[in-house]
Parts: sequence; structure tokens; C-alpha cells
Amino acid sequence: MRAVRDCVVALVFLSAAASLRLSAQDSARVAEAQTVLAALVETYGVSGAEGPVREAVKRLLPTWAVSSTDTAGNLWVRVGQGNPVVVIVAHLDEIGFRVTGIRDDGTLELENRGGFFPSLFEAKPALVHTDKGDVAGVFLPRDSGFTRRTPSSLRVDVGAKSRAGAVARGVSPGATVTMPKQYVRLSGTRATGRSFDDRVGSAAQLLALRRLDRAALKHQVIFIWSVREEIGLEGATAAAASLGTTPRRVHAIDTFVSADAPLELPNFAVAPIGRGAVARALDNSSVTPPAYVDSLVQVARARGIALQIGTTNGGNDGSVFTPYGVVDVPIGWPLRYSHSPAEVIDLKDVVSLADMIRAVAETW
Amino acid sequence: MRHRRTAALLTLILSAFLTVRLSAQGDLDRLALRFSSMTAVTGLEQAMTDSLRALFPGSVRDRAGNVTLTLGQGSPKRLCTCPLDEVGYVVGNILPDGFLLLRRVGGARTAYPLLDQQLEGHRVTVFGTRGAVPGVVAVKSTHLTRGRVGPGAPDPVFTVDNADVDVGASSAAEVEGLGIAVLAPVSLTKRPQLYGERLLAAPSAGRRTACAALAAAVQSKPNVKGTVVVAFTVQSLYPTDAGPGSVKAVLGPFDAIKTAALPARYADTAVETVALADADRLVREIVQWMEGK
Repeated sequence: MRAVRDCVVALVFLSAAASLRLSAQDSARVAEAQTVLAALVETYGVSGAEGPVREAVKRLLPTWAVSSTDTAGNLWVRVGQGNPVVVIVAHLDEIGFRVTGIRDDGTLELENRGGFFPSLFEAKPALVHTDKGDVAGVFLPRDSGFTRRTPSSLRVDVGAKSRAGAVARGVSPGATVTMPKQYVRLSGTRATGRSFDDRVGSAAQLLALRRLDRAALKHQVIFIWSVREEIGLEGATAAAASLGTTPRRVHAIDTFVSADAPLELPNFAVAPIGRGAVARALDNSSVTPPAYVDSLVQVARARGIALQIGTTNGGNDGSVFTPYGVVDVPIGWPLRYSHSPAEVIDLKDVVSLADMIRAVAETW
Repeated sequence: MRHRRTAALLTLILSAFLTVRLSAQGDLDRLALRFSSMTAVTGLEQAMTDSLRALFPGSVRDRAGNVTLTLGQGSPKRLCTCPLDEVGYVVGNILPDGFLLLRRVGGARTAYPLLDQQLEGHRVTVFGTRGAVPGVVAVKSTHLTRGRVGPGAPDPVFTVDNADVDVGASSAAEVEGLGIAVLAPVSLTKRPQLYGERLLAAPSAGRRTACAALAAAVQSKPNVKGTVVVAFTVQSLYPTDAGPGSVKAVLGPFDAIKTAALPARYADTAVETVALADADRLVREIVQWMEGK
């Protein structure tokens, strides 16, 4: 079995080397964005189990940054001093499943963590994340009800023949479940992977912090990497409550779900990938006051940063700050195939997003 | 002292036996993993047959593409075979905006109604003239379907006609620059998964592991009775059964034919699962058959 493991390691190493290849045309900025993003994308953190991602973010912070973790699990970094306080928040968690029970035959019953099409996980490899490490398995294919989107509730087979066998492998109710994922470079500056939502936002905050001119800050900026966004903005809700009316603005740094894809209707959300960050001016959770959108555009123009303006679906962490009188000015980046195992981005947009975050912190 | 020597000798023999057994098992597992990682769309199996020819010096590829190897001599003359091809896809069209459309190849025999649906929202590999190119099959964003699909709305199964492949290109010229043309083979990206007690999950894991068992049997250098033609066959998923048929027509007649096969769980899915312990038994069975026992 060790030989096979070695072989698997070699295959993974080779495929990882291939997947991380940098194109000759890559700028240093794109290369840095890829390095940070790939590390976060290949770390697992279903809502409520974000610990590994939080630790990865901490490792990637600039050495001067002092971080703290609140009781909800959010990671905070405060920079600069004085009012008005501005909050910039991206979420750490990803969609996935949680084990709710183990059947007599050893298969695991699951519940969804977040909104997605469970059919995309059906009949695919599975990983159960336990305290003792990851346990490999497979998501069971359905044996009836052959439709596109409505499988009977999914289960996972970890190769156990009984409940005791599954428990012996370290599986217990509460463990989170995903499928193996990998950051893979596509043509040009594009890339695919799972959980770009919102590892891109998390990476962009890190990239912005690395280049931040702290001396230029005119007020305090609080960077937050939040938890449990996908199951109801729970981490951000706790952060908003603890800050109350103190902040002036909040910038949720999250996906702009784009209709730039062949199966989507072009009614709205048409922000093509590769054309820069997006002012997420209207979604299902908040509307940005038009004057603030105008200000954001001015910040982008002053720095020569590509910025699109659009409206899309979904909610954002900034919306839970608005009941405290805090203005939500979310900024996103265009994403194809959101919440699927094969999301697609353009790395140029990650760079643009990081530049926008830095510009907002330093000049607005 | 004599007892101690006997015990030491027994330990040595047992550990050597165990090492040989574990090593053989390791070889089989490695072969099963390797074969399951490969893509051999029926009729377009050359990359895999190249690999088999490298594995077995002295093997030949016939006009149909089958890889054959002759062991022993004289009679009886027997054939031991395994089909190595799989249901897959080829690029059927390249659109001006850089997306690829697909057609299925060899799917007439599949039993799993959601075969094509397994592509949706997943990574695929396009085998272009300049090497393997990663891509994904487009899927609607979860967020953008909200409020647009009412309860009870039609929910037809995803078919290959719904598959738009995104390789990150923005134009047909960029696609061509990647070495992709019409007829390039395409498959779900192969990521075999080992789980439980030596269970192997992968697309076509049953066929590939059976071929691995046949390869392992040959590598064990059996004392063949008469002549055994070993054939890794292609094009078995076309109605004409061209690959296996041509081996029989060209190299036959045979006194007996054995086809290597293994039971599989979740057949035809991306997690078709075989027990490598079953493959161990198959290796022994093939060796005994070759030795005429």
C-alpha cells in the first residue's frame, strides 16, 4: 500500500507541477496572485470548519501584521488609527456537506452546508475531514429518479461495511465532507478550481495587505476573514454586532457571480472575466447608494484600476453591517460557474481586486 | 539451538514469501492505478497502447490498434484478452468564442442514464496534439438560477448536447494554438481514488484493473502451456467489436479464449469501484489458466 501511496504522491506532485505552471507572459503580479490563491484553494474549510483556511491565511500575512481570532472564528487584522473606521471583509468558508448520521451499512448520511447543486457531487470522489485526518470515499450514485438536479439526498461510502467500520476509520457525525480539489491553470491567465468563492476575496485581502502603504492610511482599516458566510453570514453578523455603529463603511470582498458563460441568461450580471474587479452595486442582500458607487469609480480611475459595475444575485457579508448605519460598498470579481467543482476565474481580476482594496484603504 | 535455527529459517522463508507477495500486490496496485489514470476513448486508444508497448517489449500493435504479445509455443493455442477502451468524447466543433462542443463515442452499451451528466461542472482533459489541455464543462451558476426555476419545472437529464467545454480560451484561434482540433479525445479528468480496504474508484476501473491483472500475470512470467496470445484490445465498444474480432480473425483460431474481467460496484460512473483483492485473485486465476492448471 505504501508503494501505491508513493505512486499517488508522485502523480499528485506531477499534476500539481503541471497545474501550477506559469505562462511566460505572466507578470510578477499575476504570479504572486496565483501563489497565494492556489495555497488557499487547496485548503479545505466547509462552513463551521474553517480552521485550516484561517491558519493558511495567517501564514500568508505580512510579517508586520498582528492578527486575532474572535469567539465566532473570524480572523481580524487592524491597520492604522482613527476615524472613520472602515471594514474590509472576505469569507473563509466554502460550500460542502456535514455528516448527520452513519447507517448500519456503514454509509454516511449528509446535510448540505450552503446553497449548491448536490447533483454535481454525485458519483464523484469524496473526502471526509475528521480530527484524525481526511478519510477517502465516494459520493454514491443514485439508482432511481434520473433527473438533472434533484438527486435523493446524497450519501458517502468510505468502504466500511458497518457503522462500527466507519467509526473505526475516524468518521463521526459532525465531520465535514467535500471532494478533492485542485487549483489548475487554464489557457492564458485563466484558472479553475473549487472554492474560488471566496478564496479569491481572501487572497486579494492578503495581496492588498502585502503592498499596503501603512503610512498613507488616514484612519483605521479592519481586515476581517469571516466564517460561516455560506450558511447565513453568521461570522460577519457577529463581527458587525461587536463593532456596532463604529464603522463608516464596509466593503464585502466577495464573488460577482457572472453571466459571462454559455448557459446563462444575459439579462444582468454580465461582467466578463478578465476585465477587472466589479462594483457589486446591487444583489439580493444590499444596494449600494449611487454616490458611493461613484466614489468607488473615482478611486479606481485615480489609480488606473480596471473596474466594472454590475448587479448580480447572492448575498454579501457587508449587508449585516447596514442595520448599524454602516454603508455597504461590496467589491467583487467576475466568476463563472459559481458553487460548482469547476469555477473559472481570470487572475488579472484578482490583481485588479487587490489593487482596489489597497486603493480603498489608502485613499478613501 | 536446532529449534532456534529452524525458527530463524522459517522466519526468513515466511518474510521472503510475504515480501514477494506484498511486492506483487504493490505491482498490481501500481498498474491498476496507472491504467485507471489513462484515457483510451474507444477507437482513439493510441496513447494507452503506446504505454502498453513500452511496458511489454516484444509486443506488437496490429492494424486495428490492439496490442498483442505471444507467450510460449506449440499447442494448444489460446487467447487471453482484456478490452482497454472506454466510452468517451471527442471535440465535435470549436466555436468562435473559444468554447468546444462534444460528441460521445462508444456510448451505445452504457447502462448508467446519467453518464453524460457526470461531465457537468467538472474538469475534463482534452488530448490535443501538443499534449493534455485542462478544461471544464460549463454549468449554470447556482446563484443565477434562483428565482428563475419554479417547483415542478422540467428537469431533463444533462446530455452531451448540453456540454460546452471551457479551456480558458476566448477565440477559436486560441483553441487551435493549444493544439486542439476537431476529433481530439476528451474525458473527465482521471483522478483515481483509493479508499477503504484496497478499493479503487475511477471511470472504467473494472476494465482497467482487469487489464492490470492481465499485465501483472504476464509480468509474473508464468510457465505457459502451449501458446498463449495476450491481447489488450481496442474498439470493443463499437457494435462491430472490431478490436477483439480482428485478433481472432488474424491470429486465430484459438482452442480457448479467456477474457479478463472483474466485478465492479457503481458501474459506468466516475467512481466505478473494484476491490484490488479481487484483482489479486484474477492474477492467480490467469496465471493458472496460462499454465494449463
